[in-house]
Amino acid sequence: MVKEIERAGIPVVHMCNLIPVSTTVGANKIVPTISIPYPLGDPATPKEVQWKLRHHRVGVALDALTQDVEEQTVFKVKI
Amino acid sequence: MKKAIHYINQFFAGIGGEDTADYEPEIREGLIGPALALNSMLDAEVTHTIICGDNFMGSNKDEAVKRILGFLEDKEFDIFVAGPAFQAGRYGVACGTICKAVKEKFNVPVITSMNEENPGVEMFKKDIYIFEGGKSAAKLREDVKVMSNFGNKILKGEKLGSADEEGYFPRGIRHQVWLDTEKTAAERGVEMLVKKLNNESFKTELPIPKLDRVPIAAPIKDLSKANIALVTTGGIVPIDNPDRIQSASATRWGKYDISNIERLEGGVYKTIHAGFDPAAADADPNVIVPVDSMKEYLKEGKIGKFHKYFYSTVGTGTTQAEAARMGKEIVEELLKDKVDGVIMTST
Amino acid sequence: MKLEIGNFNVKDVIFGEKTMFSNGVLSINKEEALAFIKEDEHITELDIVIAKPGDSTRIVPVKEAVEPRIRPDGRPVFPGVTGDLESAGEGRIHALKGCSVLGVGMHYGSFGDGLIDMSGEGAKYTLFSELINVCIVADTDEEFERFEQQKKNKAIRWAAHRFAEYLGNTVKELEPEEIESYELEPITKRTEKENNLPSVVLVMQPQSQMEELGYNDLVYGWDMNKYIPTFMHPNEVFDGAIISGSFMPSSSKWSTYDFQNFPTIKELYKEHGKSINFLGIIMSNLNVSLEQKKRSSIFVAQMAKSLGADGAIVTEEGYGNPDADYIMCIAALEDVGVKTVGISNECTGRDGASQPLVTLDEKANALVSTGNVSEIIELPPMENVIGELEALARDGLSGGWAYDEILGSSVREDGSIIMENNAMFCGDRISGWSTKTMKEF
Repeated sequence: MVKEIERAGIPVVHMCNLIPVSTTVGANKIVPTISIPYPLGDPATPKEVQWKLRHHRVGVALDALTQDVEEQTVFKVKI
Repeated sequence: MKKAIHYINQFFAGIGGEDTADYEPEIREGLIGPALALNSMLDAEVTHTIICGDNFMGSNKDEAVKRILGFLEDKEFDIFVAGPAFQAGRYGVACGTICKAVKEKFNVPVITSMNEENPGVEMFKKDIYIFEGGKSAAKLREDVKVMSNFGNKILKGEKLGSADEEGYFPRGIRHQVWLDTEKTAAERGVEMLVKKLNNESFKTELPIPKLDRVPIAAPIKDLSKANIALVTTGGIVPIDNPDRIQSASATRWGKYDISNIERLEGGVYKTIHAGFDPAAADADPNVIVPVDSMKEYLKEGKIGKFHKYFYSTVGTGTTQAEAARMGKEIVEELLKDKVDGVIMTST
Repeated sequence: MKLEIGNFNVKDVIFGEKTMFSNGVLSINKEEALAFIKEDEHITELDIVIAKPGDSTRIVPVKEAVEPRIRPDGRPVFPGVTGDLESAGEGRIHALKGCSVLGVGMHYGSFGDGLIDMSGEGAKYTLFSELINVCIVADTDEEFERFEQQKKNKAIRWAAHRFAEYLGNTVKELEPEEIESYELEPITKRTEKENNLPSVVLVMQPQSQMEELGYNDLVYGWDMNKYIPTFMHPNEVFDGAIISGSFMPSSSKWSTYDFQNFPTIKELYKEHGKSINFLGIIMSNLNVSLEQKKRSSIFVAQMAKSLGADGAIVTEEGYGNPDADYIMCIAALEDVGVKTVGISNECTGRDGASQPLVTLDEKANALVSTGNVSEIIELPPMENVIGELEALARDGLSGGWAYDEILGSSVREDGSIIMENNAMFCGDRISGWSTKTMKEF
C-alpha cells in the first residue's frame, strides 16, 4: 500500500514498529513507532508523556516528507 | 473435438524476414507453419492461424491487439497458443503481449514458449505460461511438443504440476503441495542442515525473491503550504464499522471525515484489527491515527492543510494483490483531492 | 540426562465399566471421567466424545491436543500446570500412543482454534485425523471472554492436560510394549567421536506474543512473553515442560501433543553421533515489538556461539509478525558464523502471489516450507459434528469468516465448509511432521 502511494509520486512516510517488515515491503522513508498495539503512545505512561512522544514522532515524519533521500532511510527519533 | 488457435509471426508464416516485419495482422483458416506441428500433437483441432509482423506488433501494439482480439470475437476456441519464439526478442514480446490480452479478454488458457534469454520471459512470465524453449528454430518440434503436452493436460482437466515439473517459467505464485516422497519437514530440515554443514549443495524450498522497489517520490518543498493525509493499516474505524472492513484478510477500506473534530475519541472510534490487543487503541485511537497531533501542527502552521479524511484498512493477512488494489483506489482519491504527502501508520 | 518413554499402543478407545487399559484397548468409565473433569468448577457443561480415524466426523472448535501420559514415579506430567513444579526430562514416562485428548468448545471458538476432519479430503491436512481422539466437549463460566475473538480458553485447555494425565494413569503400573530412550551426555562430557562431528543446536520459537498473560505457551508454568531465551535439554520438551497456548492461527500452532512428540527433535537425535553432535535446544520465544525481537536474537546468537554450535535449525510457531523474529534470528546466527536452516510455513495469500514471509533476508538461504496458511479449502458435509460447526464462521477463527461477498459464509446450510488452511488444526505440522512443501507455479 505504501508503495502504491509512492508509485503515484506522492511522498509517503511509513510509521511502524517493525522496521524490517517495512524495509522488506519497500517503504523508502520510515519513522519508528514504539509498539504494534500502541504505535504512538504507551498506555502505561501518563497522557502528557504519550502526547509528547506522539507529537514528536509525527513531527519527525512530517519533516521526513521534505527530505531528499537516495535510499531507504529510517529517521531517528529523540523520544 | 476441442479447438485451438495459433499465433505466429511473418517469418514462421513463410511471408518473409526482416523486410516484411511490418506485415499487418491477419487470420487464416487452417494451418500455417508451426501450426501444422501443433495440430498434430495437440488433442484439439487448430482451426485458425493468426499471423502478425513483429514490427507491426512492436510499433502499433494497441492497434495490433485490437485487430487480433477482433478476429477472435466470433471464433470458438478452447486454448490459445503462440510461438515458440526461441531467442527472437520482438517475437517473444509479441507472443507475450497477445497471450496476455487473449487471456484477459476471453479467459481461455494461453501458452507460449521462449528461450530464457528472450526479454519476453521477464516481461510476461507472471501473467502467462511461458515454457522454456530452445535458442533457435531447430528446436521447433520439441518446443511445440512441450506446449502441446501441457495444453493436453489443461484440455483434459488433469492436475497441473509445478513450474519445475512442467517446465514453464515460475509465475511468482507459490502454493502448497504434498510431496510424493512423503519426506517430512523434520527429515528435510536436518538433511539440508547436514549438507550445508558439509559444504555440499542443497536446495532451499523458499528462494528469497528479489524485492520490488519503487522510485522515491520527490520531497515536499514547502510543508507550510502542503496538504497532508493520514492513512492506516491499523483498522481504526467509527465504532459501528460502517464499511464492514474485515478484521483480517481485508478486502475493504474506508475513509472517514475528521474535518470537524480535534482528535479521535475512544468510544467513537475503535480498531477492528485482529492481530493485536486492541485495548490501548480502543481507549485512545490517536495512538494509531494521530489526528490530535496533526491538528496541532495545522494550528501551528507547520502544515498548510490537513486532509479532511483519513483512510483505513487492516493489514494482517491481506494479500499483496488486495493491498495493491486498495492502495490504488486510495491513491486515486488522494490525487483527486490534491494531497501532497502521506503519513501511513501500521501496527 | 536420560528420558525413557514407555509406549502403549492404543488400538481402540471405548466407554466401559472401568477406566483401564488392556490388550490395546483403552476403556473409559464416562461418569467417573466427567466427574473428574468437572472438579474444575469453571466447566459448566461437559461431554466426552470419541472420534476415530475414518469416522464421518468434523471436530471444531479444537483448542488443544495432548497425548495421554503418566509418570510412574508420581511426578506431574506437566510440571507447574497439572501439579507442582518439578524438573522434567529425566526418568521414565508412560505414553498412550495413537490417541490424543482434544479440548473442544461445546459452542464457542476463538482466533487460534482449529478444525479436524476424521475422514475424506479434509483428513489429509492434520495429523489428528490419524489418531483416536478423546474429545472433551465443554462450555465454561469464563463470561469475560465468551464473545471475545481472543480467548485464553484456560478451563478447557487445563481440562485437556488434566484428563490426559488421568487417562495416562491407566498404564502407570503396566509394563510398556516398547521403550524409546533419549539420552545426551553433558556437552563437555561427550565422546571424541561426537565432538568431531559438526555441533548443532535447535532454536525453537514458541508462541508468546500476547502481552496480556494467559494466552501464551508456558514453560514450567511460566508465561513465555515474560521470558528471554535459555538453554534447554530436548528431553524437557518431550517431557511436558512446555504446554501450548491459545493465540496463534491454528495451522501454525504447536499443540502440546506436538511438543511431547516434536519430530524435528527426534530427527536430530537420530543423527546425533552419526552426522552431527546435537548440543541441545536454545528455547527462544516470539515477541511483538522490534526491540524484544532483537533482544531475543542477540541472546540466541550469543548462546549458539558460546556453545560452539556450527549449525542450527530455527523453527517458529507462527507466521506473519513472527516471521520477523524467525528471519532476524536466522540472520543473527549466520552473522556469527552458525550455518542455519529454517523450518516454517508461508503466507502467500489465497492467490499464492503474496510475499511468502513478512520479512526476507538473503542470509536465510536454507529454508524448509511446510504449507501456505491462506490456501482455500472447501470440504463437503460430515455426518457428525463434535463441538459447534457455526463457530468456524461466527467466532473469528483465523481461517473462517461470517461473510464474504464472493465466497459467502465459511459454513453453509448443508454443512459443507469453505475456509483458509489457517483454521486447520495444526495443519502445517511445523513441528516437523509436514509432508507438504511450497512450490512455484
